[in-house]
Amino acid sequence: MAVTPTIYIVASDTHRNGKTTLARLLTDYLLLDARDPFLIDTDAPDGPLRNFFPGRTALADFSTTRGQMKLYDTILASPGRDYVVDLPERHTESFFAKEHVLHFFAEAHKAGFRVFVFYVVDNTYTSLNAAKKLREHHGIDLFVPVRNMLVGSTWDADEASLTLPAMSPQLAQATLSRRFSFRNFVQGDLQELPQDLAMELQNFLYEALNNLNNLEPVLTLGKLREF
Amino acid sequence: MKPTLILVGADKGGVGKTTVSRSLLDFFARKNVLTRAFDTEIPRGSLHRFYPAITEIIDLNNVAHQMRVLDTMESANVPVTIVDLKAGNLSYSLDLFERIGVLEAARNGAFTLGLFHVVGSSIASLDEIGEISKYLQGIEYVLTRNTINETNFFEWDETTYRKYFSQLSSTQEISIPKLNEMAYEQVDLAGVTFKDFVDNRSADGTTAKFSFVLRGYVRKWMAEIDEQYAHVKILNSITSGNRY
Repeated sequence: MAVTPTIYIVASDTHRNGKTTLARLLTDYLLLDARDPFLIDTDAPDGPLRNFFPGRTALADFSTTRGQMKLYDTILASPGRDYVVDLPERHTESFFAKEHVLHFFAEAHKAGFRVFVFYVVDNTYTSLNAAKKLREHHGIDLFVPVRNMLVGSTWDADEASLTLPAMSPQLAQATLSRRFSFRNFVQGDLQELPQDLAMELQNFLYEALNNLNNLEPVLTLGKLREF
Repeated sequence: MKPTLILVGADKGGVGKTTVSRSLLDFFARKNVLTRAFDTEIPRGSLHRFYPAITEIIDLNNVAHQMRVLDTMESANVPVTIVDLKAGNLSYSLDLFERIGVLEAARNGAFTLGLFHVVGSSIASLDEIGEISKYLQGIEYVLTRNTINETNFFEWDETTYRKYFSQLSSTQEISIPKLNEMAYEQVDLAGVTFKDFVDNRSADGTTAKFSFVLRGYVRKWMAEIDEQYAHVKILNSITSGNRY
């Protein structure tokens, strides 16, 4: 994906649809690509993303001014690297509203960043409409609708998007273990995963990481087709 | 062009009078209108802390200090003079200005006189309106509801409020919006103007390290104030250069 420092924002209008798994996947993908992303988990106090990457994640409660400063100021104070921002559904709307007021994306562009938004579209039309509305938000360089096949999606499969294949409930449960790392798995550490689940995960990662790898040209092409 | 004298005052302390003075000075700076200011909060001078280059601390009871403000309006070659009246001194100051002929001179057209009367949410603030109404003839009176520090909405009863309002012939009313508390504190601690804070500049002109988020809050607040000030006749005539 992008070589230019990029802010990857993972968001959705509903919860429990794979946002944190996607943020983990994205982070591991960047790490495997020898990038050095820093993560901001706005799901305080639990910090589910921080649990997986404790050394490179800041926990910020976005409902407070201090939390907003921790998010926006941290990114702008240290440009030149990638950031992954995990937004729980309760902060998604206010994040983009605050961004609009504070002109964060404009400032981020000035600091040399690109802004990519990954939006998980679930199987409701409310989610689809929310995604289409957010796609028009000013300052987003790449809007990525995400279809997570585990929960289903109303986003048209023929339209450019990132598709995450469905995981079996057993695999999903196994990867939720705090010590489980997709990156380590790719690098050969099965992390005590049974043979059948290891095979399933291998297929999942092969498809998901390939989709991520081809994402930018596919979406850019899709965007061009609209004109 | 006639000079303009703007008084900013309240008979109640802690209503954010100095903040209003600061916002006015910022507003004029952004519109490239030269100003000078007098801070009557002697010896402390909280306005002076933010605008040391253009603010003098004076004692309004001292005749020499009164002369520094009033006798130099023409010669100072600065179109706008702002006087931040000491907390609790509004009625006293207006009475003083009436006695020494300042209000009369303004009524006769020697200069334009405006009063930004900053009020809080209590009924005591409404009582102030009744007390000062006798001085207001010929003055551009702007009732300024300040919500910058307020956590509650104004609790004035509308009927009571209108009753007080009916005592005044021509009143303009504006509302200073609330500013994020942390942003307000940080500007105060930095001791810079709101504009410099937004521009990330310290008092000595060097680049500062103010929070992007807090700067954004202040910028938004300033834009909201500009919307309020856009309706104020005396400010419009100054910024458009149309001072009759």
